Amino acid sequence: MYNSYLSKSKGYKICMILLSVLSVGLLIGSYVWVSGRNAVLLPSVGQIWARCVKLFVNPIKGVNLLAHVWASLRRVLLALLFSWTAGVVFGILIGWSKTLNAIFGSIFELFRPIPPIAWIPIVIMWFGIGEFPKILIVIIGSIVPVVVNTRAGVSLVEQQYVDVGTVFGADNRQMLSNIIMPVALPSIFAGLRTSVSSGWTVVLAAEMLGADHGVGALVTRGWNASDMALVLVSIIVIAIIGALLSVGLSLAEKVVCPWNQ
Amino acid sequence: MGKDASAVKVDVRNLTKCFGDLRVLDNLSFQIQKGEFVCVVGPTGCGKTTFLNCLTRIYEPTEGNLYIDGEPTDPKKHSLARVFQEPSAIPWLSVRDNLEFGLKIKRYPTAEIQKRVEMIIELMGLKDMQKKYPKELSVSALQRVIIGRAFAMQPDLLLMDEPYGQMDIKMRFYLEDEVLRLWRELQSTVVFITHNIEEAVYLAERVLILTNKPASIKEEVYIDLPHPRDVTQHRFIEYRNYITDKIKWWE
Repeated sequence: MYNSYLSKSKGYKICMILLSVLSVGLLIGSYVWVSGRNAVLLPSVGQIWARCVKLFVNPIKGVNLLAHVWASLRRVLLALLFSWTAGVVFGILIGWSKTLNAIFGSIFELFRPIPPIAWIPIVIMWFGIGEFPKILIVIIGSIVPVVVNTRAGVSLVEQQYVDVGTVFGADNRQMLSNIIMPVALPSIFAGLRTSVSSGWTVVLAAEMLGADHGVGALVTRGWNASDMALVLVSIIVIAIIGALLSVGLSLAEKVVCPWNQ
Repeated sequence: MGKDASAVKVDVRNLTKCFGDLRVLDNLSFQIQKGEFVCVVGPTGCGKTTFLNCLTRIYEPTEGNLYIDGEPTDPKKHSLARVFQEPSAIPWLSVRDNLEFGLKIKRYPTAEIQKRVEMIIELMGLKDMQKKYPKELSVSALQRVIIGRAFAMQPDLLLMDEPYGQMDIKMRFYLEDEVLRLWRELQSTVVFITHNIEEAVYLAERVLILTNKPASIKEEVYIDLPHPRDVTQHRFIEYRNYITDKIKWWE
């Protein structure tokens, strides 16, 4: 009650925004200060900007920065399309049915702790180094949080709401769409948000090991050529895209789960 | 009281419910007439809620069965509504969507849903809060939403499980009158569970008194008083004292 009162007051909100601006400002200030002292290890803001412009003037591997970003983003989006669909369906099945959880949940628990990057050698040996294996690795990396959160969300459904559905005569499909999914949605969204960051992390790892195009390829290129500015351009782009995806998902959650605000 | 004896709405035959070795309901048999208002009273924990859970098929009976209009109870087939003991407004639906919930499950035409919900919003005074979510409402407003949701179904059988247990006395009297008004206007059959004997005498045409666990019917009492009833009237107090004496299972 006290917290909700505070969070609603205007002065509190302004204070929180000012604190966020101050912390980002301090980070940038510290960076400028440190980079002024050792420009080889930490290029200045001006050098980074110049390197970014150069990526458009002298493209790497024939494509500019935006095309590299799109190459990575396309892999992540295709993988997320699959892992969100399959992960939510699988999570609901093992969250709702004790039998299915006993059969498939235990197999899932065996695979869950394996870091997605550990699959890279196997996937490359089986499927080569084309587009499919990269997307497959991102799927492996992004599906786990979706399944875990969906299963947890479904198992959170209180018996009381299931009883309300039963009394009004809801069939299984209505029970799923009217009771279980709305309860599970906030957890599912938490899983989707985690899956975006895992997917984005894994695609970079996959690209760093062998790709012509993609932000991960730019990082490797910068690393091999001791081009620190290129590495930092790539890192900043990664941060911006990751933040945009996260903001997009938060907005989608506000639209889909308005009661949860 | 003045009901057509041939119009049996609910027929409970030899209903027994056990949980493992624990026998909660013991060979209950009784009938409820169409349009009747029946209150079920009994000691706390005697199995009143278990009876409603059997009637709504949340639990399957161990022995015996329950029939509505001569057919075994089936919430998918029969028009049932229930007000649960705990606040059961659905948190992710607005007040209006909560009122529409059961009607949408039963796939009523949109025009019919709108008509009924408008009527309930008007009757229950929910106009100003129809877009709000349950967490924004007071306990009494929440309970009005749940009662409204049940009455919107215009159910053949309305089951109310101690719906006013958490209310202050003023709100309880107000909502008791509301239920009586809705019952008369919509001509529903109501089974109302309570441990408050005054409430039972105030509302019911007939009171079923259950024994302590395992519950069976100790006695049924017809309350031969016109509505609205006066809780200070001599005969009202006589009924109340009589039922209070009967409920004392230790005597």
